Formats: sequence, C-alpha cells, structure tokens
Amino acid sequence: MASPQEDGNIGPMIRLTGIEKSFGGTKALSGVSLTVERGSVHGLVGQNGAGKSTLIKLLAGLLRADAGQIEIDGVVHDHLTPHAVDALGIHFIHQDRLLVPTFTVGESLFLGREPRIAGTPFLDRRKMQRRAAEVLDRYFGLRLPTSTLIAELSTAEKQIVQITRALLHAPKVLVFDEPTAALVRREADMLFRLIRRLRDDRITVIYISHYLGEIEDLCDTVTVLRNGRDVATKPVAETSATEIAGLMVNREIGELYPKRTAALGATLLRVEGLSTPGRYEDVSFALRRGEVLGLTGLLGSGVKDLVRTLFGLEQPASGRVEVDGKTVWTKTPAQAARRRLALVPEDRRRHGVALDLSVAENVTLASLDRFTRFGLLNGGAETAEANQLIDRLQIKTDGSDALVRTLSGGNQQKVAIAKWLSRHSEIYLLDEPTVGVDVGAKVEIYQLIADLAARGAGVIVLSSDLPELLGITDRILVLFRGRIAAALDTSETSVDAVLADVTGSSEALRHVG
Amino acid sequence: MSVEAVPFGGSQQGGSEPAQTRGFGASSGTAGRRIATLLLRGGSLAVFVAVLIVFSVTAPYFLSVGNIGNVLGQSAIAGVLAIGLTVVMIAGGGNVVTGGIDLSLAANMGLSAAVYAALSQAGFGDAVAVAGALAMGLAIGIVNALAITLAGIVPLLATLAVMNVVAGLELVLTQNTVIPATGDLLTLLSGSGPFDIPVLAYVLIGFTLVAALVVQATPLGLRLYAVGEFPEAARASGLSVKPFIAGAFLFSGFCGGIAGILSVSYLSGSTTGAGDLLLPVVVTALLGTVFSRRLVPTVIGTLLSALFVSFLVNGFQLLNLSSTLVSGVQGLLILFVVSATTLLRKQETSA
Repeated sequence: MASPQEDGNIGPMIRLTGIEKSFGGTKALSGVSLTVERGSVHGLVGQNGAGKSTLIKLLAGLLRADAGQIEIDGVVHDHLTPHAVDALGIHFIHQDRLLVPTFTVGESLFLGREPRIAGTPFLDRRKMQRRAAEVLDRYFGLRLPTSTLIAELSTAEKQIVQITRALLHAPKVLVFDEPTAALVRREADMLFRLIRRLRDDRITVIYISHYLGEIEDLCDTVTVLRNGRDVATKPVAETSATEIAGLMVNREIGELYPKRTAALGATLLRVEGLSTPGRYEDVSFALRRGEVLGLTGLLGSGVKDLVRTLFGLEQPASGRVEVDGKTVWTKTPAQAARRRLALVPEDRRRHGVALDLSVAENVTLASLDRFTRFGLLNGGAETAEANQLIDRLQIKTDGSDALVRTLSGGNQQKVAIAKWLSRHSEIYLLDEPTVGVDVGAKVEIYQLIADLAARGAGVIVLSSDLPELLGITDRILVLFRGRIAAALDTSETSVDAVLADVTGSSEALRHVG
Repeated sequence: MSVEAVPFGGSQQGGSEPAQTRGFGASSGTAGRRIATLLLRGGSLAVFVAVLIVFSVTAPYFLSVGNIGNVLGQSAIAGVLAIGLTVVMIAGGGNVVTGGIDLSLAANMGLSAAVYAALSQAGFGDAVAVAGALAMGLAIGIVNALAITLAGIVPLLATLAVMNVVAGLELVLTQNTVIPATGDLLTLLSGSGPFDIPVLAYVLIGFTLVAALVVQATPLGLRLYAVGEFPEAARASGLSVKPFIAGAFLFSGFCGGIAGILSVSYLSGSTTGAGDLLLPVVVTALLGTVFSRRLVPTVIGTLLSALFVSFLVNGFQLLNLSSTLVSGVQGLLILFVVSATTLLRKQETSA
C-alpha cells in the first residue's frame, strides 16, 4: 500500500459547499455541505431519499451539481468526470459488484491497468496472478486459487476482490456504499479491521451505511442527511446511535394522516414459519379484515422478498400461508390474484401500470373476465367501471380514455390500486405506495388506504418512510436480516423505537470489531 | 467440490446467521455448474474425437495428410468469417438476441469477392483488387458499427438490414452472374504449399494464430471480453464501451473482405449464393464457445469448431451420405449449444 506522501497539505481531503441538485421538479439536494478530514473515517447516514446516493454520484463525477463547489485535496473542481476522479485517487466500492463473472480473480483486479510482458504488447498473466495472490493474502489473509473465476466466488469474496481492486490503485480516498448489506458478521468484522488499517495508513474513508451500530464502532465523524440537507455533522465520540436516528427522521407528523377507527374483523391472511434461507427466516404473522399492517426493514432485510413470496413471485423453502382459514400454496401471481391478493409494486411505471394504455384499459386489466361477452370485450361496461372508480378514488384525468402516461405519479398510483379494486381484491400488498408522489397525492393515497381497510380489506404497506407507517398503520412488523425483529403496536411506539429495530441498534446484533 | 477450493465458503458452515446458508448454497450451485460445464466441454471434445474416429474407420482416406489438408483448406473461408463473428460476439456479449452478432458477414464476403473479381476483370492488378475487396469489407463494417453504436440499433436487426443491402449491391454489381478472375495472387492462394497442403490451409492457421494472440493474450482482448460480458464493470474500470464494439464490427467487416479474396481464389471468380454460408458461420462461432473453460467465444475454440463442421461435411461426402443431412445436423448443433449455454448462464446469474 502506498502511504500517502506528506505533501504538506493539511486542509480537509474533501470539501463540498452548498451543493444543490434537482431532477426535473424535485430537489434531491438543497445546499449540502460536507467536509471530510484527511485520514478520517467519515460516516454518511440518512433515510432512503435523503440524498446520499445523489451526493456520492456527484463526487464520482457521474452527475453535475446545479450549484455549489467541490474541493478535493485543496483544489476546486468544476467539471469532475469519472476519469478525473479516478486520477485524483478517489475510488468507490459500489453496492453492486461490478465484476465480470467469467474473469479470473487476477484479470478482474487488473482490468484497465493490465501488466504487460516487458517489451511486448502481451498480457503478463503470471504477474497478474502472482500480484493478485500477494495482495489478497496481505490484506485479507485470503488464499484463492488464482485461476478461480468470479462466478465461482461467494458474495463476500466478490466484495473483497472489488475492494482489493481499489487498493491496487493506491487510493487516497475510498468510498464504501453500504458495504455490509450482503455480508455475514464474520465477513463484516474482517471488513472493519481492514478499514481501520486503511485509516492507520492515512487513507480517507467515506462510509455509507444504514447500520448505525457500524457507524458508532467504525467512524470518527458522522454526517446526517435528511431531505437533501446536511442536518448535522458530529464527532462520533460525542453522539449516540439514538441521537443519529433522531436526526435522520423528520418528526413533524402533521395532519397528513387520516383519522381512522379500526374495526378489526376475521383473520384474512395468516403466515406461519415462512422461510427462504438467506432471505427471510421463520416469519409468522396474521392480517385481519380492516387492518393496516406496516412492514419495514432495510435493503436486504427480506421485506421485499416476503411480499414477493406472498404474491407468488417467489417460492418459500418452508412455511405455510392461509387465506380465509384455508392453507394455500401460491405458485404464480395469477393464483394470488384469484385468491384476492393484490400487489401494487414499487416501480409503478414499469410494473404497476401500462403507461401507453388508457385509464379504462388499465383499471379493467386484472378483471377482464368481468367485461367479456362471448370472448369480446364490452367497451361500454369497461368505461362505466372506470368512470365509477375514477369517481371513487378521485383520479385526476381527462377521462377514462386518457393514456396513463399523461397522469401525475400520484394518480398513476391510484390507477394501479383501482385495477385491483375492480377485481374485488381483499388483501392489498402495497410496496412503497407513496414513493415519488407529491405531498397532496400522498394524503389522498393515505385516505384511500384507510377507506380500503374501512371496507373490510386487509392492507399490508411496505414502506421505509417511518413517519408514514406510524401515521397510517395499526401494527408494524420490522424485519432485520431476515427475521422479525419487532412486532409493534403503532399507537404505542415511536419513530425512534422503530428505527432502532430497523437498524439493529436496539439489539446485540451490532457489529463489534 | 468447490467448497474446499473456496476457503470462505467453507468457513461459513459453522456459523449460525441466515446468510450462511446462502453462501453455502451458492457454492454447491457453482459445483453443479462446473460439472455441467465439464460435461458440455468434455462431451463436445469427445463427440469431436468420436466423429474423427468413426470417419477414419469407415472411410480409410479420411485421416490422410492430404484429406486433412483439404479439409483445412475448405474451412478457410468459413473459418475466417467465423473468427470475425467470434470477435463481434466477444465484444457484444453472449446474449444471441441483444448481444453481438453480425449477420452481414456472408453477404459481405460475397460483395467483397465480386468487387475483387470485377476489378480484376477490368484489368487492375492484384494490389488494387486486394485493396478494393478489403476496403469494401471494411466499409460494410463501418456501416454496421455506426448503426449499432451511433443509432443504437440492436446488432441482430442492424446487421440483418445491412445484409440485405449488401446482397442487393452484389446483384447489381454482378448482374447475378459468375465473374471469373485470374491473377498471380489467386494462383498462389489456390495452389499447394509445403507437404502438398493447400495454401488456404496455411492462411487459415496463420490468421487464426494472429487473431488468437491479439484476442487471448493482449490487454485489448481482455478489455474486449469485459465490454461484452459486463459493460458496467468495464465502465467502472475506466473503459469506454462503444469504441470496442465499433472496433469489433470493423474487424468483422475486414474479415469479410479477406474471406472475399479467399473465395475468389477458391472458386476462380465471384459466384452467387454467398448467403448460404451464413448458417455454417454462425454455427461455427456458437459451437466454438463449448471449447472454452469459461463457456465464452474464443478464437481457438472457433477454429476447432470450424474444423469439426468441415470434418463432418467431409466425412459425409466420403461416405456418400446425402449432404442435405449436413444442414440438419448444423441446425441441431445450434439448438444444442445455445440451449446448453443459456441454461448454464441462467444458473450463473441466479446463483
């Protein structure tokens, strides 16, 4: 490892000032400042949508800021490109492992900077493999057969190869983006030891994580982002996971959420001991008529997989699902729909609605049987159904024949829900139902969820927006690393308490290096 | 088998966290894939050898130096084209529908041959004719490259369109007739070299070696694979993807030009029906992937499969079997290879 030369430069390694960035009409960053000291491990935390990834992409030269200044190593850079960032010695360990599956470890490490046999244009494969073995052994004590292909490595090993790639470039700054999301504890501990060694070598580290325990153990300083602003930067020694958690969420819960009086009916859905190894383990819960059940957890906690399983998109390894007291084995979404399950997916523009079909066509898409006579569609009946639902959900559209593409995000979401209302579904799985819609539309969707429950449906809302969950649900299930970490009664809990369960900081699960 | 080879996977067995099971599962999936790869690769080598043995027993002349030389010579045109296609497949990735494919190669050879023959008949010398044919091939490669990298058309469609244009141009140029051509170069190429083996056989071997060196042994080749297999990874390594893809199509166009010259020498002129070569060339390049450990296209793998296809045709001829059987066998080979590699790759991505 190259120890960074003492160039007499003692200012901060990275200084971002007043960074602003908008996408279309939405402001992702509104005036963020961030100062990262040389040789420190700097934590960066914030909820989904707080602006972490936008900030990192700006630093990586993948996006350009609308306003603000980026200063690296004492020099102000106006036009950062990925190439320039690379040359400055800033390297990124991405969440997705960007490695070619059919390459050997050696080839992956040196791609782009291949050693050549002296005096020829040919690759020095022997040197590549020798260096690869050397470096992996030195940093990780890892002995991989040098001919091993990437496809044959475990997730953790791929992660290690990627970090090693960055180390080979003698970096000044390493940026880790959620590095432990796919690692087990042993592997994460190894990563932490490595990061401490990097700090000892005076390499600056920016560490992005949802796991507040990791931030506490590992970082010198932490910056909290919320709604596109840096709300606090503190030495870790002078703060706590609880305080950071408090800073991460906006606790002003106003009149966004409808008042509802839950009248719970019979059990609609019962899940018993559902397991898929590596995704979720031994998940049991029940959903009653009239109930809104919140479901939350970090990326990789298994919540998404759980919802996909309920809708027949994935198969569980073991466990049982009951609908209306009868055990069912849902193998396909079509079966799930017949059992009156409805899924409103997170990426509504790709999976929730057909953008180039009309509102009426979208609304009746899941229930065409009801509008078909002698194999032909009854357009009149379709329009009537659509108009009735447009009315009931107050969908703002030019008419039932307007293309869904022309609707706003919130109204598209209503169409996605109307589709299942038309099918008379009773168990609603809503995946991040208010992501990317404006506040007004949010309120309407919350009202819609309350109405669904009031009419006797059961609603499961998967959301990472904790205030939202607290505002609209009766109970909240928190998954942490595949297991139910907490089942909370909404009226008796708080954002801080839920967040503690979500990030695992309330448990002894916290990593200890 | 792979668990012991991967210390990390093995050490997880004692743990109790949920992800531990996943790590182990991935390793055993890898083992399954390895066995399948071994079977596919070993199996195809075994079939290759078995075919040689069957033919050499049933047709005594089959294994003679003369016959092998002839087969090599007959493989030269398809071999050069298949190597061009191989490079395109490397840079475009393994997906046959969205990945790298150049359907215009056979038509390119036909037009380049026609250009050579026409120039030669018009009284130009060998040098001008060679330059004309190569320039024609390269020009077709440029059109492909532009359509794919600038206009963003998938290679399957872009090269299909170019194929039709090129075939049409050939008809315009030749009026759908045979244009005979002669010259010193053609005489040299169509003759025999040392050991009474056709010169074309030496050309194929030489061309393969050069291409193999560049593709398998230089940083350029390694980057080509990265661009095709995982463009995001290539970008993350500071490589720009488009120049590589464009370069691959330029190269395949150039190969079309070379094959055009070879075909003029082989047939003593330009003839119609170049398009018939498309299927054998695609078979050859696809089949070549099973001769590599990683199940990726390689130049040497393509040479082996070119020989395999030619030996098959040759053996059928020596045994007086109907040549119509050959296209049937070729079609089956495509189905087999594409489904086998697709299944294996699916496993790879889900693991």
